[in-house]
Amino acid sequence: MQLLNILLDASATSNASNYFPIGLQLFFAIGFVVTMMFVTHFLGPKRKTADKLENFASGIETHGDARQPMAIKYFLVAILFVLFDVEVIFFYPYAVNFRSLGWEGFGAVLMFVAFFLAGFIYIIKKGALTWED
Amino acid sequence: MNAIILSAILGVIMMFSGIWVNNKATLRWIALAGLLVLLISNIAEMYGYRIWNVNVHNMLYFDRFGLLFNSVAIGSTFIFVALSGSDINRVGKYAAEYYTLIFFVLTGITIISVYTSLLMLFLGIEIMSIPLYILTGSDKRNLKSNEASLKYFLMGAFSTGLMLMGITLIYGATGSFSIEVLNNPAIAQGVSFLEITGMLFLLVSMAFKVSAAPFHFWTPDVYDGAPGVFTSFMATVVKAAAFIAFVKLFDARMSYSSAVVDWKMLLCILIIATLLIGNITAVFQQSVKRMLAYSSIAQAGFMLFAVFSMNEMAKEGIIFYAVSYSLATIGVFAVLLKMKDFTFEGYNGLAKSQPVLAFANTVFLLSLAGIPLTAGFFAKYFMLASVIQTGHYLWMVIVAVLFAAVSVYYYFRVIQAMYFKTGEGETENIHPGFKTGLIILTVIIILLGVAPNLIINFLYF
Amino acid sequence: MSITVVLFWFLTALALLSAIMVLLSKNPVHSVLWLIVVFFAISGHYILLNAQFLAIVNLIVYAGAIMVLFLFVIMLMNLNAETEPQKNTWLKLAGAISGGSLLLILVSVIRSATDMTGRTAQVGEGNIGLISNLGKALFSEYVVPFEISSVLFLSAMVGAVVIGKKD
Repeated sequence: MQLLNILLDASATSNASNYFPIGLQLFFAIGFVVTMMFVTHFLGPKRKTADKLENFASGIETHGDARQPMAIKYFLVAILFVLFDVEVIFFYPYAVNFRSLGWEGFGAVLMFVAFFLAGFIYIIKKGALTWED
Repeated sequence: MNAIILSAILGVIMMFSGIWVNNKATLRWIALAGLLVLLISNIAEMYGYRIWNVNVHNMLYFDRFGLLFNSVAIGSTFIFVALSGSDINRVGKYAAEYYTLIFFVLTGITIISVYTSLLMLFLGIEIMSIPLYILTGSDKRNLKSNEASLKYFLMGAFSTGLMLMGITLIYGATGSFSIEVLNNPAIAQGVSFLEITGMLFLLVSMAFKVSAAPFHFWTPDVYDGAPGVFTSFMATVVKAAAFIAFVKLFDARMSYSSAVVDWKMLLCILIIATLLIGNITAVFQQSVKRMLAYSSIAQAGFMLFAVFSMNEMAKEGIIFYAVSYSLATIGVFAVLLKMKDFTFEGYNGLAKSQPVLAFANTVFLLSLAGIPLTAGFFAKYFMLASVIQTGHYLWMVIVAVLFAAVSVYYYFRVIQAMYFKTGEGETENIHPGFKTGLIILTVIIILLGVAPNLIINFLYF
Repeated sequence: MSITVVLFWFLTALALLSAIMVLLSKNPVHSVLWLIVVFFAISGHYILLNAQFLAIVNLIVYAGAIMVLFLFVIMLMNLNAETEPQKNTWLKLAGAISGGSLLLILVSVIRSATDMTGRTAQVGEGNIGLISNLGKALFSEYVVPFEISSVLFLSAMVGAVVIGKKD
């Protein structure tokens, strides 16, 4: 019965045990995937031939390595994404305390955003995000 | 606070002037004007005028010592940009960005000279280091520059990691980030092992940042590989700033004797190792740029004396050392960047082809060697006198003097090449303004060598 | 043993094991995957300490965004087994000895530290890590470092353009 109580307990108090249902779901989700993978492995018939173990490349014979150095611009976009991702995360603690922080907190966030906006305009103007060059 | 906020804003302004201004010479003038504004605002703060009144929650404390150092750092950067600005513009096409990053480095420097919270120390060191990693690698087509940048980044990140670990342990032991708590005699003498281990971690990471042996391995490669202008900036202003942070951090450790760790003995080992490795290796170098990298390690050994003796004289001395060392090294690098060949042979016969450059370079090298009538003499004098004032460790003074004599050898090799050897002494085109700048710098160094109080008096008025 | 203690030991063992595997894996992609496991284990620790916001942020930023960057770097570098530099055995030995001494000192310090005895972690009840308390601290007491950190982001952006932009 106790387990059920935890599952039904939807009160707003933040406690690590509130995460129990999520953990349970995670456990079952991962468990299901892992089980299925193993089960298919054991149940399915295996007929290995050289042609079947070849990498599938639309019927063409493979040659060379699939690892090619890729263009730097992918990385540029990725690193800029990380920076703005981190910026957005700072908004969550502010949003939760929006009312109690008042104008002072608003000013702080505004200044932070202003710095980021300056960076964003700079990036656009420099053409760091333009794909064709 | 003036300098911290203003340098950040000026950095943003430089960032956008790169979009709207295409002429690199104009960018340099904008940067110079910005540095001048920064310098004036910081001096105004020394006299009590604050533009912004920010509640810093006891994380920063704007004392005379820190503010004076800020002025020194900003002033040295001004001279650096004035002398070597054209070389900055030659590094690559992103001139405005280089100036932006220099302003951001200054933000970091102005934080770590006035911090009272370890959190601020960490943030300041990071803000100071990350633009430097970028500046080191700014010569993109040069493999050596790339290697230096990567090496610097990996080593720097590792030492910052050690610093964070240390701060964590200290927070665990004292429950506070404040260095006032750390400097409390009861804690400084005490036997909290967690806190002592934390301080040891901080000692290692700070020794790394100031490139004291045995944590110096990155220095020669990075200083050699980075574009020469940025080496000049890294080896002077940034290194001096790291020393100011070092002094503030270990204030109480050195003043009270601890029951568990002999901090003075640890510092002693660091100093002797740094002096030994820096000076001896510098003797064998063939490239002047690499020789200057090792000589900067040797100079760091001298600056460590300020951390070691930690009295009033040491604090006056470290500021004075920062000034004299920064100005002389900026001058030497400014001349070096104009040379076509960075080896000792490249300097052969410079006195014939460029007498002004050769004379100015001689004065800078004499100052670095610590010859009387130059600023470097009083800088070394203050350091050694502060050790004598502690009353012990006289043998360290003797060792230091011996190593100073060794350093005279490799500094004089350059002077000898310039004056007593025949050669072309090939240089780039020298602008008359550059010569004027060098002469002004020479006059400042000699003036400080005669009257060191010109700087130190600013600590007390 | 309560369920929290079991979870704690499980997560700790997982974190340490995967961290070791990050170093031991020959294939850099495997190293990155093990690193993701480390981040998940550490997020689990955060939840145990009732710091749910930090746990989620740790997953989003580190296991999500930073790991993508790691994978990009590996793809940029085109690492093959043949180009892998051979490491010096003496260097490995020296590293193992110095690292081992550091570990020994750290463990003995934490075991013998008098200021750690009698202290327990606030498991599942402390409210320091909750998002509202974090926000209050961040925007009142720590507002100056928060604002200054934006300079760090700006220099990263400038650096991305200087180093990464094709010219």
